[in-house]
Amino acid sequence: MKWDYGTTEEFSASGTGLFITNEGMFQYGNATLSYYDPETKSVENEVFYRANAMKLGDVAQSMTIRDGVGWIVVNNSHVIFAIDINTFKEVGRITNLASPRYIHFVSDEKAYVTQIWDNRIFIVNPKRYEITGYIECPNMAMESGSTEQMVQYGKYVFVNCWSYQNRILKIDTETDRVVDELVVGIQPTSLVMDKNYKLWTITDGGYEKSPYGYETPSLYRIDAARFEIEKQFRFKPGDSPSEVQINGEGDKLFWINNDIWSMDVEADRVPVRPFLKYRDTKYYGLTVNPRNGDVYVADAIDYQQQGVIYRYTADGEPVDEFYVGVTPGAFCWK
Amino acid sequence: MKNKVILFAFLLLPVLLRAQSDQSAKDTGAAAWREKGVVAIREVPVWGQRPMKSIGVQETKFDSVVLKENIALSIADVLTFNSSIFVKQYGRATLSTVSFRGTGPSHTQVTWNGMRINNPMLGMTDFSMIPSYFIDDASLLHGTSSVNEAGGGLGGLVKLSTAPAAADGFGLQYIQGIGMYRTFDEFLRLTWGDERWQVSTRAVYQSSANDYKYRNRDKKENIYDEDMNIIGSYYPVERNKSGAFDDVHVLQEVYYNTGRGDRFGLNAWYINSNRELPLLTTDYADDMQVENRQREHTLRSVLSWDHYRNDWKIAAKAGYIHTWMAYDYRRDPGNGVMTSMTRSRSNVDTFYGQAEGEYSVGDKWLFTANVSLHQHFVKSTDKNIILQEGGKGIVGYDKGRIELDGSVSAKWRPTERLGLSAVLREQMYGTKWATIPAFFADYLLSKRGHVVAKASVSRNYRFPTLNDLYFLPGGNPGLKNESGFQYEAGLSFAVGKEETYTLSGSASWYDQHIDDWILWLPTAKGFFSPVNIKKVHAYGVEAQADLAVALAKELKLGLNGTFSWSPSINEGEPMSPADQSVGKQLPYEPEYSATVTGRLTYRSWGLLYQFCYYSERYTMSSNDITLTGSLTPYLMNNLSLEKGFAFRWADLSLKGTINNLFNEEYLSVLSRPMPRMNVEFFIGIKPKWGKRK
Repeated sequence: MKWDYGTTEEFSASGTGLFITNEGMFQYGNATLSYYDPETKSVENEVFYRANAMKLGDVAQSMTIRDGVGWIVVNNSHVIFAIDINTFKEVGRITNLASPRYIHFVSDEKAYVTQIWDNRIFIVNPKRYEITGYIECPNMAMESGSTEQMVQYGKYVFVNCWSYQNRILKIDTETDRVVDELVVGIQPTSLVMDKNYKLWTITDGGYEKSPYGYETPSLYRIDAARFEIEKQFRFKPGDSPSEVQINGEGDKLFWINNDIWSMDVEADRVPVRPFLKYRDTKYYGLTVNPRNGDVYVADAIDYQQQGVIYRYTADGEPVDEFYVGVTPGAFCWK
Repeated sequence: MKNKVILFAFLLLPVLLRAQSDQSAKDTGAAAWREKGVVAIREVPVWGQRPMKSIGVQETKFDSVVLKENIALSIADVLTFNSSIFVKQYGRATLSTVSFRGTGPSHTQVTWNGMRINNPMLGMTDFSMIPSYFIDDASLLHGTSSVNEAGGGLGGLVKLSTAPAAADGFGLQYIQGIGMYRTFDEFLRLTWGDERWQVSTRAVYQSSANDYKYRNRDKKENIYDEDMNIIGSYYPVERNKSGAFDDVHVLQEVYYNTGRGDRFGLNAWYINSNRELPLLTTDYADDMQVENRQREHTLRSVLSWDHYRNDWKIAAKAGYIHTWMAYDYRRDPGNGVMTSMTRSRSNVDTFYGQAEGEYSVGDKWLFTANVSLHQHFVKSTDKNIILQEGGKGIVGYDKGRIELDGSVSAKWRPTERLGLSAVLREQMYGTKWATIPAFFADYLLSKRGHVVAKASVSRNYRFPTLNDLYFLPGGNPGLKNESGFQYEAGLSFAVGKEETYTLSGSASWYDQHIDDWILWLPTAKGFFSPVNIKKVHAYGVEAQADLAVALAKELKLGLNGTFSWSPSINEGEPMSPADQSVGKQLPYEPEYSATVTGRLTYRSWGLLYQFCYYSERYTMSSNDITLTGSLTPYLMNNLSLEKGFAFRWADLSLKGTINNLFNEEYLSVLSRPMPRMNVEFFIGIKPKWGKRK
């Protein structure tokens, strides 16, 4: 077998840009990282491999940037890679995580890493690339553990619990303990916070014959300070909404529900018509450029080939489309 | 050419191999080993008339010589080096599936002593769990030919069976193998027999740490300074972590022949397997803190009765399969106690019954009828959860399905040269029905060279598996059958000179369209669900050739080779406007594959060389080759040397095997390295108790 390896490329990606984490196929270790420059409309694929001459791993779940360092969470490789966001070269890694999903920075020396199949949120020291502790999550066994996306309001971090769960947890970052929890609908998939410090989560409602239950999915607005549900927007039975996102101003929500939908955070009802119509495919990922409101939608096609990203203006006009890696699932703005 | 020509038995034409059937009782099991303990070349006659049952059939048959060449191998390894079908291996002693002609593993039906043993939940069979030591006869029925045995084999059918040991009195065989990676293999066979009874007990115990070294090119180890800055990196040499296995197989056989045309048989095969699942090359977990383990207990048993008369035969079989499978993914959360992250269990019980009859009308007609029943009961528990209201809940399913399969066939040979055969099969799975027709023809083009032309056509269906229908989450009860329309044609020949050489070969061309191919795709809710989505056009050429030469009085050379060209093209509708997979080869299906085996025997010495080749396998449906998704072609070479010793009191055998002779670094599946060059030694003993030689 002929091996091509060992060659590294030098990148210099200054300016703004968009990272796309491509999950790859579960158990095949073919996750990749793509980088897109919205100015030049150029994309570079497999940049992690090309810059480091090694694979990113199995199921790249998410990426977060802090102070010029990108932190890529690779779920089934049980690792978080830290890279220079201009050269894409590795600067460090946190290993031996249980099943990491997202990383959230509390400070330069403390970050939380959520997990699936673990009832703990890992506390890490990003400077030393070390696991320093755990946050025990109540009413969750190891096997049914699931903590996902995090947003911070003051000293509190809020976490949505997704797989066979129905809660938002509230963590005190000073004590690293769960201090409160809020029951929403079945399986809240994602979590964002708007300009009014309202949390938004969208549930998928579970699935038919699930022992955990199956219900109409909903979009919830939660007041972060009072940690109470303020509003519930119900979808139709059988809908599969996911990926709630927010624009840079924090005044407009976006989500996937077959089509791409958009709603003003002050609105009283979900719009009748979608922002973007369904394009004969299942959309898998969604993001909004925080600088100009452009909307990017990921299409994983058959999940066995390079997915494609469709780029639209804030008004829904198509701007560009480009191929990335297998199963593009998450985005990260530089 | 005389009616009877002496041939050496390698991979011969099906028509030639059929002639072995009556000899099989003498030549199976330990018999090959018994022949001076070396790679044996047996002699079989060729009968002038081609068997009625083989009309138009494309069959590759493995005799006990091939099956027992390396006793430590599984059937997956035997097929890898001796056939044109694709064996996808996830590692050493790890899941191995086989697929014919560019189809999927679940398109391969597998029978053991007549009973289908495909896992009813998954549809496929793990061939790494079938030790070659337990199989006395194996054959591949390619494409349409599988319809003669069962429906659903869109790619083909693997037919595995055991046979009486032909023991006269008490016999014992014991072989021990010791290999690298702390591999220990133990094989024991006890036999007893007389004119009426044949009793055999076989046991296999195989264990290995399986921690072979490899250069991990998918990851780098970093070197840090005191401030945790990376100052260097390198590709680590790692061991295959968490890959140990410990397998026990026991096979009990009892045969009784009344001598008046009735034969009874009992076969019971018990498996106790305990295997760790190796970490991927891209895994950064500490293997001391995680455990990824699969355990299996399986009992397969078949009771059979055959009643023979001059021009008719009836037979009945009854069987039972119980399988308990456990998958555990556990982790030490830091307190020293391994805790379950995933705990999955499945219980499968299958009751089987079959009746068949054959009736010959003169030399020109043969009629057959067959009906079989498989009743499956499956209980699958895949996850333990905490319910909303508190208390425990289980995610899984508990379902049963009855599978009826009936067939009738008429075979007609109006002239010596022409043979025609029609098979009509009706299947009922649950409440759904499918009619499977097939038609076969062959024609003897030339008696000189025994040149035979064959052609066949079939319509075939594969029903969704129980996981396809009911798995939680994702099972889709609305799935349709996959359907295939296949036709093929081929030529074969055989020439030889008595006790000097034989040369035979065959080539066939096939073409199949499969509709409603089932594919599991992720849903918006994060889990996978199967859908009938693909249309596949699989076509190509399969060829094989065999040469056996007596170079000198006691020096014999055997060569056989196979070649396969198997495009398998996605011809479905694009899944989205951006879909680049239409018109492309299916992922993980090599377009080309080839094998060569050479056997040289001199007196009690035997030298065996095996080679196989797979062309590049695409890992993406778009056939794009990326840095992270490349599976380049590989060649594999094995070499064995064996010496037999015949003493008054026992036969002894010593054997050394080098696997991966040229120390190739290779992958069959992404992120799962295969072992580099490795060595295993075997010693075998067969006492001659009570026999004077």
